Amino acid sequence: MLGELINPYYLQVSSFILINIILAVSIYITLGTGQLSLGHAGFMSIGAYTTAILTLNYNMPLVLGVIIAAIVTGIVGTLIGIPALRLQGVYLAIATLGFGEVVRVLFINWDGLTNGAIGLSGIPHLGREIFNLSKSMGIEPDMFGLKNNQFISLAVFFVLLIITISVIWFFVRQNNSRIGRAFSAIKMDEEASEAMGINITYYKVLAFGQGAMLAGFAGALYAHLMAYISPSDFDYHRAVEILIFSIFGGSEVIWGSIFGAVFLSAMPEFLRFINEYRFMIYGALLVLMMAFRPQGIIDVNMMNRFKRLMPKKRGEKKHGTGNKEDQ
Amino acid sequence: MLIEQLINGLTLGSIYVIVALGYTLVFGVLNVVNMGHGEIFMFGAFMGVVVTNILGWPLYIAFVVAIVVTGILGYFLETFALRPLRGKEGVSHLAPLISTIGVSIFLENVAHHFFGSGNQPFRTSLSELKFVLGSTTVYYVQIIIFVIAILLMFGLTFWLSKTKAGKALRASAENLAVASLLGVNTKRTITQTVIIASAMGGIAGILVGIAFNSVNPQMGLSFGLKGLAIIILGGLGNVRGAMVGGLILGMAETFIVAYGDSGYRDAVAFIAIIVILIVRPQGIFGTATTGRKG
Repeated sequence: MLGELINPYYLQVSSFILINIILAVSIYITLGTGQLSLGHAGFMSIGAYTTAILTLNYNMPLVLGVIIAAIVTGIVGTLIGIPALRLQGVYLAIATLGFGEVVRVLFINWDGLTNGAIGLSGIPHLGREIFNLSKSMGIEPDMFGLKNNQFISLAVFFVLLIITISVIWFFVRQNNSRIGRAFSAIKMDEEASEAMGINITYYKVLAFGQGAMLAGFAGALYAHLMAYISPSDFDYHRAVEILIFSIFGGSEVIWGSIFGAVFLSAMPEFLRFINEYRFMIYGALLVLMMAFRPQGIIDVNMMNRFKRLMPKKRGEKKHGTGNKEDQ
Repeated sequence: MLIEQLINGLTLGSIYVIVALGYTLVFGVLNVVNMGHGEIFMFGAFMGVVVTNILGWPLYIAFVVAIVVTGILGYFLETFALRPLRGKEGVSHLAPLISTIGVSIFLENVAHHFFGSGNQPFRTSLSELKFVLGSTTVYYVQIIIFVIAILLMFGLTFWLSKTKAGKALRASAENLAVASLLGVNTKRTITQTVIIASAMGGIAGILVGIAFNSVNPQMGLSFGLKGLAIIILGGLGNVRGAMVGGLILGMAETFIVAYGDSGYRDAVAFIAIIVILIVRPQGIFGTATTGRKG
């Protein structure tokens, strides 16, 4: 019964959507302090390559590889974030774009470690690992009436779902904290927030580092989901794609970015019947969006309307007292 | 050998200059980085393929067709992607960047659809003609590219500094509102600028086709990104900076291929801009503003 309902293909698409959500959140954090980055594909590739090399060459367990990848990317992001403080708007966008391209060229040319343009294959697959783990714990797919591949896809999906929900939960909490309020103050007006005693340098570098770390984390998960990575997976198009998730869905609120990731990654699946034209539609959609709704589909006003529709919760009251803490 | 490399560098550099000028003109007036410029340039190159290879017409017609088609594309870009965003309340400076990225995605895939994703040969009767001076071989094509680039640069400089339309453009670049108050038809100036910038992209596209003998839908991206790097290098919106920056980049790339590791050729531009942005954010020729334009 359950076995017939579960389609590994849709589960795999959903797993990629979850990774795209993490990527969208990663750019949302960076955008949240008014910093535009086109380098997130570069950070993603650093994460992906770190875990791939660690697990392939040093037989490191998958979990450890992913964690180290996130930490390494976070450090790189912080190091990039410090000089990036001097730049704004278009300058920062092009500089981070340049960073992404330099990373890509580096991975293409670092033959000994990255296998050049061909890429790395045979990276331990997340599903395989879960499958072996559950087997050793005595859980067999037959117990649920599932085939092996169905079980693997389902397990991967749930693991990623839990990770994604934890990430979202963490950043929703952060948004309601002192850090989140500092971020939005900086986005609104940098000079005014500096005058209010907010340490701009610290918070901007923090946001950049967090964004980079999360992108690297998503990249590491991507590597273990695909089991194959090459530098062309992390090119300019990927960077633009990540940025567009957030801009399209709405970069003012975290739910906008998440919606953007879900909508834009699911849309190609529904537009398969006009496969040939789907990227043209994608491009035209962006132009129309900017003309008619430049703040993205979901903005603050819409979120407030949602909140009004819903019964009053603790969160509303907390918002009132929260401001005092900030001053 | 050295002189040959110098000539190669100058040829490549002068193509880069024309691409970069398209970016810098639009940025100068609108404070917008037109991410669709690379794809308009690529369309120019494909027009060359269509005219010379498929229709078998002479090269100068290719130039005319490319200028007309890319000019029209520029007009559409201005009408659909830039004008609706201008002067609207609450539009962030990112909006034109994103909408021109939308245009670039659209155009790239239109090119995929019509011309296929592979390389299209761009053969002209000129490409094999060459003469030998001492120990150096010079192709006629290289001279043509260089001459056209120089003509365009002088033409543009003359147009900007001496003609009424050029003065209107510079006034608009200085301050759009004040220019409008002083009687400049800023709307027309802006449209004119985008069309001229796009047509220059079209010319550059044909020149690239002649120089490299092949054209593909992805070339818009690689040349576009280099064009971006050049305008950062020379200072955003700075015409002279774009000229010098383009020549520097062309030389640097040629020499790194000749004497260094050719794999890192594409990284030169970006390492240069990262260094420039940290050391001198306003670019080599930029005036010291706060760097917050755009």
